[in-house]
Amino acid sequence: MQISGAEIVIQTFLSHGIKDIFGYPGGCVLNIYDEIYKAGDRINHILTCHEQGAAHAADGYARATGKTGVVIATSGPGATNLVTGIATAYLDSTPLVAITGNVNSALIGKDSFQEVDISGITMPITKYNYIVKDVEELEETLCEAFRIARSGRKGPVLVDIPKDVQVASCEWHGSIPLPLFPLPEVSQSDIEEAVKLIKSAKRPFIYAGGGVVSAEAESALERFATLIDAPAGFSMMGLSAMDYRNPKKLGMTGMHGVYAASIAQSEADLIIGVGVRFSDRATGNIRKYTENVKIIHIDIDRAEIGKNVTVDIGIVGDIGETLTALSDTLQAENFSQHLPQWEERVKFLKAAQKRLFDDTADRERDILPTRIIQMLREYTEDDTPIATDVGQHQMWTAMNYDFAAHRTFITSGGLGTMGFGLGAAIGASVSRDGKRTVLVTGDGGFHMNLNELATAVTYKIPVVIVIMNNGVLGLVRQWQRQFYGERFSHTTLHRATDYVKLAEAFGAEGFTVQNETELKTAFDKAFNTDGPVVIDCHIDPDAKVLPMIPPGGSIEDLILR
Amino acid sequence: MESENFTMSVVLRNRYGTLMRVTSLFSKRGYNINTLSVAPLAENNDYSRIILTSNGDKCVKEQIQRQLEKLVDVCEAKII
Repeated sequence: MQISGAEIVIQTFLSHGIKDIFGYPGGCVLNIYDEIYKAGDRINHILTCHEQGAAHAADGYARATGKTGVVIATSGPGATNLVTGIATAYLDSTPLVAITGNVNSALIGKDSFQEVDISGITMPITKYNYIVKDVEELEETLCEAFRIARSGRKGPVLVDIPKDVQVASCEWHGSIPLPLFPLPEVSQSDIEEAVKLIKSAKRPFIYAGGGVVSAEAESALERFATLIDAPAGFSMMGLSAMDYRNPKKLGMTGMHGVYAASIAQSEADLIIGVGVRFSDRATGNIRKYTENVKIIHIDIDRAEIGKNVTVDIGIVGDIGETLTALSDTLQAENFSQHLPQWEERVKFLKAAQKRLFDDTADRERDILPTRIIQMLREYTEDDTPIATDVGQHQMWTAMNYDFAAHRTFITSGGLGTMGFGLGAAIGASVSRDGKRTVLVTGDGGFHMNLNELATAVTYKIPVVIVIMNNGVLGLVRQWQRQFYGERFSHTTLHRATDYVKLAEAFGAEGFTVQNETELKTAFDKAFNTDGPVVIDCHIDPDAKVLPMIPPGGSIEDLILR
Repeated sequence: MESENFTMSVVLRNRYGTLMRVTSLFSKRGYNINTLSVAPLAENNDYSRIILTSNGDKCVKEQIQRQLEKLVDVCEAKII
């Protein structure tokens, strides 16, 4: 059967089980949009206000489910508007397929209207990208794109399709999804070496990250942690990989890691990194981080082993398989570990953390950010996706929210993209058939892409938007206070935005809250409303994210107050 | 660790932009290309071989090889 290139795009979506797509039409994707129109009963297209919002939505969709997110944009500015979204997905290894239209093949290279070399632009921020010059290659290319996005370490793939290729026809072969590339096999000798180290460790520490979430290896991790009696710290991307009720879970480590996790990690004699990349934000000073400690690193990406830290044992393979192989081998050797001294020490650290940082005082004005997160948790379900932007509110969420179920923390880790949250929250809701999601944001990050509030209203997305409004760019200001002699250069916002009016102007509901009683009332209403709700919470501009290890520092430099 | 010069042989699919993918990987990760030559394989024109020289310590050498192996179009990346 002969069909057009544009129809091939839609048919490939359908054959790959893609039902929800995000995008924004334009001149060079008109033919694809025409096919979307015709397939209206099978394809649910969410029209955002800006292509960046669409890319973040597709990313949030993928993060919340593990499915591949799909975004469509037109040539030129449509394509360049995707760039931040694609880079965000790349740094956090999210499976994403971006389709862009381009000008007619004959016009490429002539600086035509709305022409841009998007494959050149996105080369360093995609796993792979294509420009399809012949309709005969389109079907196979799209299938390959979906395969690459999902294989091994996941990531974004871009397919650029000139308009004439969308118009031209060829035979449709009824493609089914290609099998994923095989994963590297876990080496049994690596497992045995690792088991030796684990057996001799007196203070083992698990440091788990986004790789555990991506591999859906949560139960394998839980079993392993229990078996070796090790506390578990997490990178920000891995926070939802273990239920907070599990006593082994200490929370986030790194620059803004929680006290118990950071100290325990620094005292460990063995760190087992699972699906992490030992980023600079997580380790601080590499020399001090690796002093007097053995490191086992488990990752699906061979290039991650030894990239940032020199490790004693690197195991390449699927995280779930590797952890299971470790646990099986340990159990086969009748290994059962109980480390009472280490356990006592960790318990002591947890108690110290509570003493140092728990402040439950009710305030007349300026609600404590940590209280906002704690109160929020009373309203959310275990599986409610929590999206954030980037900054203090993100750290407060990461440190204080009790994550229980996997894929519930939707946040930009690697790229640190302000403006990520609202699009991502919309995508996360769509992925769960319109279930309620929460966006915790700051007044800085919210202003970056608040246009997507219109999208949330249009599609009646039940997203509760909690703005931690301090009138400043809080995390940058905190650095200015700490490291730049309190010279607050351009971090005081002086915005006159009335968030209640703003919400109403977009067709949403809004509340301003000054204290805990008002916040409770606002939450009561917000969590019983169908569409989006904006809650403007006034917090102290000088509230700090603590503790903090300064950039390039070590645990000795921990700032507590 | 000491820096050394080394030579690599990279076999890759002859596709749009593959040479750029290899060179942009070097610039993105801050590695040097000292010399580079590329030609199609005599036995199969669908593939090319790049011979390049670079320098760096053992870790850099290992990273370059592993990062190259990750590229979709690269079939083989060897230090020779």
